[in-house]
Amino acid sequence: MIEKELPQEEQQQDISRRDFLGLAGAVAGAVTLASVAGVHASQASTHAPEGEHRWGMLIDINLCIGCKYCTYACQAVNNLDDDMIYNVVTLETTSNGDTYYLSRNCMHCEDAPCVHVCPVGATYHRPDGIVTMDYDLCIGCRYCQVACPYDARVFNWREHTGVSCRVPAFGTPEVDPRPRGVMEKCTFCQHRIDAGLERGLTPGVDLSATPACVVACPTGARVFGDLNDPESPISQRMEQHDVVIRLREELGTNPKVFYVPPQDAA
Amino acid sequence: MQNTITIPKFRIGSRSYDPFPVWIALLVSGLVFGAFGGYEVLRYGLQVTGLNNHVTWGLWIIVDLSSIALGGSAFVFGAMVYLLQLKRFEKVGRLAVLLGFLGYSTAGLVLLFDLGQPLRFWHPVVFWQVHSLLWEITMCVVLYLNVLIAELIPIILEHPVFSTHPILDRVPLLRKVANGAQAFAHFLHKLGPFWAIAGLTLSILHQASLGATYGMLTGRGIPFDPTAPVLFIISAMGGGTALLFLLSMLVFRVMRPGLVDDKTLYDVAKLAGGILLLWVYIRLWDWAVVNYYSVQYAVDTQTALLDKVIPFSLSFWIGQILLGVVAGFVLLYAERVKNWKVLGFTAALPVILIVVLRWDYNFSGLVASFSWDPFTPTIWLHSYTPTWQEWAVATGVISYWLLAFSLAARYLPFQSTMHHE
Ligand code: SF4
Ligand code: SF4
Repeated sequence: MIEKELPQEEQQQDISRRDFLGLAGAVAGAVTLASVAGVHASQASTHAPEGEHRWGMLIDINLCIGCKYCTYACQAVNNLDDDMIYNVVTLETTSNGDTYYLSRNCMHCEDAPCVHVCPVGATYHRPDGIVTMDYDLCIGCRYCQVACPYDARVFNWREHTGVSCRVPAFGTPEVDPRPRGVMEKCTFCQHRIDAGLERGLTPGVDLSATPACVVACPTGARVFGDLNDPESPISQRMEQHDVVIRLREELGTNPKVFYVPPQDAA
Repeated sequence: MQNTITIPKFRIGSRSYDPFPVWIALLVSGLVFGAFGGYEVLRYGLQVTGLNNHVTWGLWIIVDLSSIALGGSAFVFGAMVYLLQLKRFEKVGRLAVLLGFLGYSTAGLVLLFDLGQPLRFWHPVVFWQVHSLLWEITMCVVLYLNVLIAELIPIILEHPVFSTHPILDRVPLLRKVANGAQAFAHFLHKLGPFWAIAGLTLSILHQASLGATYGMLTGRGIPFDPTAPVLFIISAMGGGTALLFLLSMLVFRVMRPGLVDDKTLYDVAKLAGGILLLWVYIRLWDWAVVNYYSVQYAVDTQTALLDKVIPFSLSFWIGQILLGVVAGFVLLYAERVKNWKVLGFTAALPVILIVVLRWDYNFSGLVASFSWDPFTPTIWLHSYTPTWQEWAVATGVISYWLLAFSLAARYLPFQSTMHHE
């Protein structure tokens, strides 16, 4: 069991090990060539910036019933074909053999391997910590997919035409389809957050400003909100639990998706 | 400077044939096959490949990494000729430049098909993301390809057709252009030491980074291996030099007898052998470290799983270690072995080693990857089977490599007439 925060030294160790490997190449390459052209402005660092908001998600494993509403709502809103899944729900087992559902989307890692490796800065941290994509920059090299430890990235192997079959008769998808040959992933429904904030709504509280998976979850297993705000639903819910875990914590990726572990495992 | 070029003949009974036209025709059909596959890939996208969201890098990446590694002799011999001033390796060095160029251009070609957005291949050069190993590799490869072209131009322009063709005397303008080209070639040639330093720096940087590309994948088990950068450099130096030796035998011993003495060729073999033995030494230490001192449970499980589906351990012990030991010792003692057939056969082994190493690195973490389940983490097995389009493109680019090499071996002047200051 991993407690809320990983000891600082351990995080440091993992990060420095990875950075050390990158050092030989990236830094030296940069030193050699930095005088020739400017560095892509948004890519000065691969650690999430400290912005006003820091969006995060909490998933209470004890409440998840494996209905996959999150998967379908996500596919409808993001206009995803059936074989493209941002939100994967799997049946897993605890160490004492009990089964539980693990629902997993992009972890929006603060030290995101995908951001670190992208050669063109097509995947990057927004100021609010969301790891997102610039589809016009992506060259489709798929290094981010190889680097992501959470299997969170989906590639557009083919052209997508038409509308996701998950879109209900009364609705329309909220996001334009992405071209063939680029990578994509969960964006925490950034379009809903941005539009909501513009209208003075609070993501995590007001439904239309909250990620679709959170809205669709029938048991309230998913909570969303601003980790910087102690009053936000996520901060409040995290307060209620003694133990909150993150997946593959040992890798030092610092995910912003948290889990309340199954009761018997906690 | 004209050396007569002997084309090895193919004998059936008492008649001998020139295999060259048949060989070229074969390679051209390989190119045509590649063009069919390439068309499908560009037209319908990567859905025509066997790649998927789990095994997202496949056959093409292996071709890409291997061809870059097989061009590794270019920087080694650039440094030997221009920095260590070992001028007797100059002719062999010219062949190394050719192999470098072929390796890197092949890699560029195959990558074009591997990108989801091939028309954006230039993005890394303009949109910098300096933390990315892949960015650094792209920049180094682009720059190094230019270095190799700068080294190759003088070699090509030294062909007598560019200075003594009768048409040059009849058309004064052409003569002027030819003179200009010669002057340019001389200029590039004089910059040799500069290219050698640039080539050495760029090569070591990106050959290492290619290893680190896998080495830094902390979430993937076996590939997480801090020695990967060193292993990639050393294997490229050893395997690249072995390939250079093999092809030197053909280009110099068979086709241009007397141009390079056997002693020099033996030295190339010895160098390859020495580096290969160093490779085996480092590889074994790396194996020990990964297996005994790091996340043993994870590595064990992953290896066991991989052994079930593919002979993973076997490919390591035979493909990486045994081939290295055999080729290392035979090549190191080339002068005592003396049998050129044996030497030629042995020099081909490290080429297999290079491919196996890259194959293992690429697929071990992708085919068997860790799950994220926090309580009972397991290892997932995925699968990947290249489609005919992937084989076609691979065949096409390999045919390009062989075709360009064959033409160069037949027509390129390997003896420099340019004098050094
Ligand atoms: S979960 Fe994967 S895709 Fe999402 S931020 Fe982390 S590394 Fe990137
Ligand atoms: S696939 Fe696109 S987003 Fe991913 S690393 Fe390559 S360029 Fe970046």
